[in-house]
Amino acid sequence: MNITRRHTLGLLGGAAALGLAMPAIAQNRKTVVGTMSLTSHAASFIALERGYFEKAGLDVELKFFEAAQPMAVAIASRDVDFGVTAISGGLISLAQKGAVKVIGGALSEEKGIDGQQILASDAAFQAGLTTPAGLADKRFGMTTAGSSFHYMGSKIAAAEGVTPQFVPLQKVGAVIGALKSGQIDAWSIVPHIAKPLAASGAVHIIGKVADYLPDYQVTTVFTSSSNASDDKGRVEAFLNAFSTGAADYNDTMVDGKKDEAAVAEMVDLIHKYVYTDVPLEKASKSIINGSMRLNANAALNMTSVKDQLAWFQSEGLVDSSIAIDTLVDPSFVEIIGG
Amino acid sequence: MSEVSLTARSAAPEGSGREVRFRGGGFQPRGRRWVAPVLFVLLIAGVEWGTRTGFISALTLPKPSDVMATLIDLYSSGMLFKHLGLSLSRLAVGATLGALVGISVGVAIGLFSYVRAGLVPLIAALFPIPKIALLPLFVIWFGIDEGSKYALIAFGTFTPTVVATYGAVDNVDRSLIRMGQSFGLSWMSIVRKIVLPGAMPGILSGLRISLAIAIILLVAAEMLGAQYGIGAYILEAGSLYDLERLFAGVLILSLLGVILSAVIGMIERHLLGWRT
Amino acid sequence: MDIRLEAISHRYGDTEVLRDITLDIPSGKIVCLVGPSGCGKSTLLRFAGGLERPLAGRVLQIGDVPDGCLNPLTYVFQDFALLPWRTVRGNISLVLEDHGIRGARAEAIIADVLARTKLTDFARALPKQLSGGMKQRVAIARALAVSPAVMLMDEPLSALDSQTRELLMDDLVSLWTRTPFTAVYVTHNLNEAVRLGHRVVVLSRRPGTIREVVEIGRPLSERGYADPDLERTQKHLWDLMREEARAADEELIDV
Repeated sequence: MNITRRHTLGLLGGAAALGLAMPAIAQNRKTVVGTMSLTSHAASFIALERGYFEKAGLDVELKFFEAAQPMAVAIASRDVDFGVTAISGGLISLAQKGAVKVIGGALSEEKGIDGQQILASDAAFQAGLTTPAGLADKRFGMTTAGSSFHYMGSKIAAAEGVTPQFVPLQKVGAVIGALKSGQIDAWSIVPHIAKPLAASGAVHIIGKVADYLPDYQVTTVFTSSSNASDDKGRVEAFLNAFSTGAADYNDTMVDGKKDEAAVAEMVDLIHKYVYTDVPLEKASKSIINGSMRLNANAALNMTSVKDQLAWFQSEGLVDSSIAIDTLVDPSFVEIIGG
Repeated sequence: MSEVSLTARSAAPEGSGREVRFRGGGFQPRGRRWVAPVLFVLLIAGVEWGTRTGFISALTLPKPSDVMATLIDLYSSGMLFKHLGLSLSRLAVGATLGALVGISVGVAIGLFSYVRAGLVPLIAALFPIPKIALLPLFVIWFGIDEGSKYALIAFGTFTPTVVATYGAVDNVDRSLIRMGQSFGLSWMSIVRKIVLPGAMPGILSGLRISLAIAIILLVAAEMLGAQYGIGAYILEAGSLYDLERLFAGVLILSLLGVILSAVIGMIERHLLGWRT
Repeated sequence: MDIRLEAISHRYGDTEVLRDITLDIPSGKIVCLVGPSGCGKSTLLRFAGGLERPLAGRVLQIGDVPDGCLNPLTYVFQDFALLPWRTVRGNISLVLEDHGIRGARAEAIIADVLARTKLTDFARALPKQLSGGMKQRVAIARALAVSPAVMLMDEPLSALDSQTRELLMDDLVSLWTRTPFTAVYVTHNLNEAVRLGHRVVVLSRRPGTIREVVEIGRPLSERGYADPDLERTQKHLWDLMREEARAADEELIDV
């Protein structure tokens, strides 16, 4: 054996060059996708379960979060590659710091589909809070200032010309508890949580978010800025697989194009991730009731995103100098409006 | 130089041998007042330099000058006093309540065997409970408004105060109590004039810890349903990932802690001047 | 007022500490209790003032409590037992407050006892500012303030250095000479016993019994430093105690 130092260096250099030349998607690196146990993340579950990620050459691992905020931070810290969550003040701040980019749309409101519901506590309902017009000076629950709940409540109230008080409660669970016990008066939430709550009689549905914010881009797909600029192959692969999952979901759960057996199969699939602590028979009703449109091909409604950014800026929650390109990289998907 | 060494040498008598080597130095912390401010300024300057040059990314730390500007904005917009006023009133009501009840219960444990037998295990069981975990329960019991915040801070200050107080009562010099008895002092007089003043140093040092805990719990208390307050301000900044506001809020809390500690120090100097 | 200890016996657990002690404390005299360490002399003193109860026997007051006496049986402790957070004046007023004596009446008593113990200039001082000897003088002033019928003194000079002790002995002698008081004086120091005691009671080692009662006739004011007669008495006392003191010293302490 006669391997000189020069040889060794040459070998190492060759290996490095090979590594650089390989497409990112082929690299043997796990892709971590941040999700929450909500039906609005169904596209990720479907793409994983039905092998769409695998076909796109991605080795995907799901990481579950309790709230949107930590997911955004995890993407900024590069622990997670892709996430799906509502646009929040924290997400915009992280985008401003050059950490994350919105690259596509996920959940959106659509007239004619039962989207997010506006809820009133039983006590407030009995006291006359039967339409969103009665929200003046009422306590409207939210997780934190600058969350999507804050945005929705504020826009609904503005449309009715009233000003409620916004009460931060940190977690969705805490908001539900406070609403049930009458500590707060109103809230808005995705249908698969809203409907069972209303069915229990502890709260009442007093309106639909879609009536106030039609085409509201509720959640978006986002990734780290470095992924968006330096690893476009991986981003495109992810969006393709994600969109395939979303299309399956829309066909089966929203547009009724598939038969009952297909619906049952999909509910079964989603139940692996959502309502895992509830038996399938009970969960399936909530999962079916809670179906909302996922953007086809992860198209992004820019009109809605701009409106959200403008609202966060007008409330002083984020820096008013942030431009829309800082938040969104529109190069990956179809852009609606804007 | 040479002159000094000459006289030093001539002072020792000829042939008197070596001087005994001094070996008693060290191990005596001395006041070096300038060290802390200099270190502090260096640290801030370092962070400012790092963030300006990009050596420290905007995601990691905010610019100290931006934090300062945020504080000035907060002050000039008048919001500082709105936040501070609410937080201070929560601290004052909660901590006063917790400390007063804690001292009373602690003294009772120190004085009465039945109370001690009954309550000491109970206090030991309550002490390690993370009070934050009880916040949702307190919201149900005391309402989402000020009630639950007072209760959380009061409960958090109560347990350490009780433990410190009965420990302090136990440590009161028994010979002083015996002296009181030997002069025929009434039970009330002995408690009021001997036990309580004797326990005061222990109670006050317990209070130092309790108040620090109260400040920690202030942030927790403002997690649920508070729109204003330093804790709510910090939590909001955190959820918006607004590092300038986050650090500004934390700075205010630290200052609050330093001021409270200084106030207790003043009370101690005033009340405990008799200590040797 | 006299005090009589009648057939006092006591034990702590299995340890018998005192056995059948009968002793009279006559009015106006100082009775010194001496004995090897652990003979129960301090315990006996606590029985005499009612701070502890013997298992057998009783303590009797004979005769009426004199007028103006606030606390008939008053202790002076070895560790002074001054409240460190009160001034000299405050420590004395402490024992008057509970008797409802305040204002001018209290001031008069305090001024009197401070003058008798030569502490007038130190009324505002805190205990931490005082030397050991001064502290014990404050404690004595405090005891005098309640005009006791009997002073129960538990090794009052044992925590002091020997020079201070000499000075305080002189002070006690002059206090007694001016106004004779009754006292039970517990000490392990034989020199104090022969200088201050009209009667010296020698206790045996545990369980304590009375070995001998030595009367010293010479007036207190005439007993000086290094007096040959007193030295003889002191030597006699030491001869009584020496073997027992050695045995007591070599005993294992079981707690």
